[in-house]
Amino acid sequence: MAEPIEGRVAVSSNGNVPTRDTHARNVGRESVSRLLPSSATLRAQVRQWWPYYAMMAPGLIFFIIWHYVPIWEAKMAFEQVRIIPPNIWVGLKNFQVLFSSPIFYQVLANTLIISGMKILFVFPVPIIVALLLNEIRSGKLRGTLQSAIYLPHFLSWVVISGVFIALLSPTDGAVNQIQTALGFQPVSYMTNTGTIRWVLVISEIWRSAGWDSLLYLAAIFAIDPQLYEAAEMDGANRWQKIWHVTIPGIVPTIATLFILNMGMFLSADLNQVINMQNDVNASTIDILDTYVYRLGLSTGEYALATAAGLFKAVIGMILVVTSHLVSKRLTGKGVW
Amino acid sequence: MASSVRRSPLERVEYVLIVSTLLLLVVFTLQPLLNLLALSFTEQGKVAGFSGLSIVPDGFSLDVWTLLLQHPNVQRGLFNSIWMTTTSVLIGVMGTALMAWGLSRPGLPGRRLIFLMVLVTIVFEPGIIPDYFLMKRMGLLNSPWSVILYKAVSAWYLIILVRFFEEIPKELLEAAELDGANPFQTFFMVVLPLAKPALATIALFYFVLHWNEFFRSMIYLNDQTKWPLQVVLRQFVIEGDKIAIVGANNANNNIGLAQINIRALKAGMIFITILPILALYPFILKYFTKGTMSGALKG
Repeated sequence: MAEPIEGRVAVSSNGNVPTRDTHARNVGRESVSRLLPSSATLRAQVRQWWPYYAMMAPGLIFFIIWHYVPIWEAKMAFEQVRIIPPNIWVGLKNFQVLFSSPIFYQVLANTLIISGMKILFVFPVPIIVALLLNEIRSGKLRGTLQSAIYLPHFLSWVVISGVFIALLSPTDGAVNQIQTALGFQPVSYMTNTGTIRWVLVISEIWRSAGWDSLLYLAAIFAIDPQLYEAAEMDGANRWQKIWHVTIPGIVPTIATLFILNMGMFLSADLNQVINMQNDVNASTIDILDTYVYRLGLSTGEYALATAAGLFKAVIGMILVVTSHLVSKRLTGKGVW
Repeated sequence: MASSVRRSPLERVEYVLIVSTLLLLVVFTLQPLLNLLALSFTEQGKVAGFSGLSIVPDGFSLDVWTLLLQHPNVQRGLFNSIWMTTTSVLIGVMGTALMAWGLSRPGLPGRRLIFLMVLVTIVFEPGIIPDYFLMKRMGLLNSPWSVILYKAVSAWYLIILVRFFEEIPKELLEAAELDGANPFQTFFMVVLPLAKPALATIALFYFVLHWNEFFRSMIYLNDQTKWPLQVVLRQFVIEGDKIAIVGANNANNNIGLAQINIRALKAGMIFITILPILALYPFILKYFTKGTMSGALKG
């Protein structure tokens, strides 16, 4: 292979960087032809690489169909959808309708509140769990504890919601039985607008506190054991070691995961909410995703729903990319 | 850190506190599940008085399980879930492996562009309505294939496999080439056997993902006979549509399934749905833990 040309180079449509060879041969031709490899190298390239492209084809086709065609379909957000096509282009009118609707702001507020509560109350739990697990001396005991608390991560939200409906049942759920035994009035947590957001928080902890601790535990295990030995020499006790060695060692992981969580701020978890929603609590935990779902697939307001979805997608993308860049900058680790 | 230093009484108390806190978390995690399991095995007459705190069946009966497993909706759901999940996993693993192999080859023309294309899909998702219209346009609405083929190749798992394939020693591939193997033969006879542990990991990732899938099935499949177990469960437990399982006639006349306490039926239904996950749990633990520990952020 010849060396690539230094400095800024044009990349042809197939991603090739022209080499010195092709460049030299093309000197003096039309500028466009300089961007393409000569036909001889092209033929050689095709002969060498077509089997790989053939193998990649199914995956590539899936990506184009399931990820890129929907982007084209999303143009509906700028159209008036008619029963008999074609749709009419209306520009930003759907967005104007959306942004002047009070429900949209209610839904946006719900989303932000639920995401905020999760960051505040769910995010720290796996860190604490990892710190506690790390203190367990017997590997066998730790392994057993881990296998127990990881389980809910692998259950669907349909199942988890079913479990919580039973657990929180006002008549025979465990929580209310304890409550009445202690002399309190039973509370119907699932159908109470004051408690349902906390149900989302607690069920999220139930599902992910165990499993998410694994990432922190991996970071703790990567800490140099000599640091602990040095701390012990200095006479540090358990808490001093945690405070001065373990926590500083996992700060980069905490920072990365925190930033990435911020990137997901507009997705307060559709799968969770849609299974915990009922007629009574609906307005309190209606988030952008459930709003889009209801607007589009129940009410048939396709254009408006697409506009709301697109709003979430664009802001979400900005959040994710920003959080990725910030995380890369600060901790060297990003989303991908 | 296992030091032979003798521990002071204070340290022992601390240790007991730490272990107790974690045991409390274990109780919080498992008690709700064990309670439902015990409930599903409790004798018919005792279900009504069964405590939400108990984890031991009151009396023992298989009524709930036999009735549910004989129920046509449950059987159909189980059948749909099994074949749809299996097909999705096979397509997903093959599609991901083939694409990852090409993407892991350093000189591949357009490699960066394809990578960028994949990354874009991670950060930008136009939402469920465009997806729905795409399905409609392709004539896949109400077909199980809408759920099976939808995003069959995951960007995350693709990246994990690419990283794995990049680590395969060049010498092995060159040796195969010298023996006259073409790229297809190299892939199927050298690369795939080497990648067995990675493929098993990806297969389990896809399995958990697809077995737990309910949203797409719920919005794309109108015909109840095509529903996977998760949607059958959802209709019964979340939407509280007991007619779906008990049957209108039984419910009205309080015969057959209606005689069994709905609470126990729901508990049994939840457990039938998570049975495959529980069966594979040892493998899931092993491979997911490894996959996550080795640097992949998403699991």
